[in-house]
Amino acid sequence: MKMPITEALTIAVIGICVVMMILAIIAVLIILLSKVIRAIEKLIAKKTPAPAAPQPVPAAVVTDREVELIGTDEKTAAVIMAIVSKKSDIPLEKLSFKSIRLMDNDEKGGNK
Amino acid sequence: MDMVKDVLLGLWEGSGFALVTYKEIIMLVVSFALLYLAIVKKFEPLLLVPIAFGMLLANLPGAGLMDDPSGIMDKTHLIEGAHWYDSGVLRLIYAGVKSSIFPCLIFLGIGAMTDFGPLLANPVSLLLGAAAQVGVYVAFLLAILLGFSPEEAASIGIIGGADGPTAIFLTGKLAPHLLAPIAVAAYSYMALIPLIQPPIMKLLTTEKERKVEMKQLRQVSKTEKIIFPVVVAVICAFIIPSCASLIGFLMLGNLFKECGVTERLSDTAQNALTNIVTIMLGVTVGATANGEAFLNKSTLLIIALGLTAFACSTAGGVLLGKVLYLVTGGKVNPLIGAAGVSAVPMAARVAQTEGRKYNPTNFLLMHAMGPNVAGVIGSAVAAGFLLMMFRGA
Repeated sequence: MKMPITEALTIAVIGICVVMMILAIIAVLIILLSKVIRAIEKLIAKKTPAPAAPQPVPAAVVTDREVELIGTDEKTAAVIMAIVSKKSDIPLEKLSFKSIRLMDNDEKGGNK
Repeated sequence: MDMVKDVLLGLWEGSGFALVTYKEIIMLVVSFALLYLAIVKKFEPLLLVPIAFGMLLANLPGAGLMDDPSGIMDKTHLIEGAHWYDSGVLRLIYAGVKSSIFPCLIFLGIGAMTDFGPLLANPVSLLLGAAAQVGVYVAFLLAILLGFSPEEAASIGIIGGADGPTAIFLTGKLAPHLLAPIAVAAYSYMALIPLIQPPIMKLLTTEKERKVEMKQLRQVSKTEKIIFPVVVAVICAFIIPSCASLIGFLMLGNLFKECGVTERLSDTAQNALTNIVTIMLGVTVGATANGEAFLNKSTLLIIALGLTAFACSTAGGVLLGKVLYLVTGGKVNPLIGAAGVSAVPMAARVAQTEGRKYNPTNFLLMHAMGPNVAGVIGSAVAAGFLLMMFRGA
């Protein structure tokens, strides 16, 4: 069945107006809803007591415990600690070394 | 010796080589071409591969994958005593298209994948999404002028919505005989958006407009994102009840995503469900492309009208973008209007790419996503309106 062009034109104009109208209604609703929601959220935030200020994070405790050196002199141990600190990007004062031991050739592994 | 001859003759007569018609050969070539475009040129491969292969399967001579002896869909070739299970396997799966189950489930997945945040942050985007539906109605008018019936014209027009599932949904209801050419045109043009849109965007905007940088969008709260799908589903369904299925499933999927308590459902809708339905939808839509339905003048006209619809939709969005540019004193970049066609997220990416060509520091993607997702709602509403007008006409 063919349709007269005037009728088709009317439907087309009403069609685009309906799409515009529905999307405009949704846009207005979004604006109103977001205002209401933000107002409620502000109100709730005011009523709720502000959380206590966070406790300062205690700095890493640097133990004054002696590093146990096995088969290593102090100078080499200091160099090793500096290298570990640099490679791991952790300040030396936050690192805690328990012991530094010279490995035997058998313990080094390598190609097997 | 005669028996051997009879067997060989029977084998030959039952084979595809003896049964094939020239239209089937042409359709097979068309399916090869589409497979090439999908696989080699990467034109919407997730959809074009199943569509093209469905076309190939349906045109294999004598295979009967779309046969309908019991008249489930097509009452013209009834066979006495045939049951529904005598139908071809693709014909049975096609029931999901005909009943709108597949397009609605795809919309569920799209909803679960879509972030409406940019739209909520800038609600004016909705108007751009609406303006970009103008191509739907321009193509509808042109189709009427070219002699198509109102139902066919409405189905052709919806190509301008740049939304595959919506086009399939409406065409399946109003003009199922045009399903294949309309689906192929819609998906092909969606893949060609980076080629179709930029010249129109350039033609309709000045360099100064294209350089406009938009201010950063506000943060949208979780509550707003949860309330939005419920409100949209109710408003749209109250005004146009016929769009309730598409919009309803779209918004249900989005609620799964945003509500925060249905992560498993959201994940299934986004991935497994969408993938399964895409396979079945694509293959069966392609399978409707038999030689009789596809190889005619209408297909060429549909392809031409589809391109017109896409171009007009892009122009509609950009022109409203220019109006907003003037109204807001240059705060809106008109290029984002082109993203109002609902091809998500390709149209938004095109706006971003074009904007950066003229201002390399410009970042329009999030601003363009607003009109882009608004276009999904807009095209579903446009389809609902056309369905309301012409269903049962």
